[in-house]
Amino acid sequence: MSVASELIRGNTETIILAQLMKGDGYGYMVNKAILNLTGGRFELKEATLYTAFRRLEDAGCIVSYWGDETTGARRRYYSITDLGKESFRLRKKEWETAETVIDKLLEEGV
Amino acid sequence: MNEKLRNYIDGLFENAPKTVRAVELKEEMYQNLTDKYNDLLAEGKSEESAYNIAVVSIGDVQSLIDGLSGEKHMVSAESKKRSAIMIAIAIALYILSPVPVILIQREMGLMLLFLFVAVATALLIYNGVTRERYVKADDTMVEEFKEWKQNNKQKDKAVGAIVGSFWLIAVCVYIVVSFLTGAWHITWIIFLIAAAVASMIRGIFMLKQ
Repeated sequence: MSVASELIRGNTETIILAQLMKGDGYGYMVNKAILNLTGGRFELKEATLYTAFRRLEDAGCIVSYWGDETTGARRRYYSITDLGKESFRLRKKEWETAETVIDKLLEEGV
Repeated sequence: MNEKLRNYIDGLFENAPKTVRAVELKEEMYQNLTDKYNDLLAEGKSEESAYNIAVVSIGDVQSLIDGLSGEKHMVSAESKKRSAIMIAIAIALYILSPVPVILIQREMGLMLLFLFVAVATALLIYNGVTRERYVKADDTMVEEFKEWKQNNKQKDKAVGAIVGSFWLIAVCVYIVVSFLTGAWHITWIIFLIAAAVASMIRGIFMLKQ
């Protein structure tokens, strides 16, 4: 698990962007989606999640706004920008390249 | 139990800078943590274990909070720069203030002298006031300044050498010009101008840092 999370950590921002490609969301919603998609095997630490949000926001990949829930506290929603979508496609392509390369390198001799 | 979560988050942010960004982040964290906590309760967890799971899921917030104060350090570098410019201009104005009196020996010259002094004083006061606010906003500033001073000691030596040689040149110019023109009654102004230029040199070096 710890080794797997080490591998996943490098792609935290790409994973978050992928969730926001499906629609706007707030912190816990994004994390819950990640947890569900991995069948409960992986979940981001809140601190990691917010650090990634701040960095993506500073880079202009996402924008945030406060929801207007009438009951209860307000939530901060994130929305992916065109730049963010562009960035996601690029990162995904990078990952696919890396995947192919690593698969090739880890091949066992027949 | 929500009060307990609130207290926990307040504790995490105890040493965070009091910026809008920090307050918003705190609010956001509290909201998401509450959602998670309620979900865990709905799954049938006890209040105690739901709280524990929620708190553990936060992880290490230190770097996140350090990131918030990072913005402040950038501002402080900017304000140091601005403060250096203002002090340099103010000192140059003080030194140059008698020049109009000597050049325009009339009331006009005297008025310009007071104007120079007034502007210089205003700059120093403004600088002092804005700096005061800044010190209160960040109590690590003193430490930071010490470190900054330490790092620049070497540079200060270089500036000192340049200014020192500059003064020697100024003396040479004074003697040469005075002997050539014989106008001893006025050539001493060279020293006033030299003093102004010297403080400008210091100012420029402070800016470069």
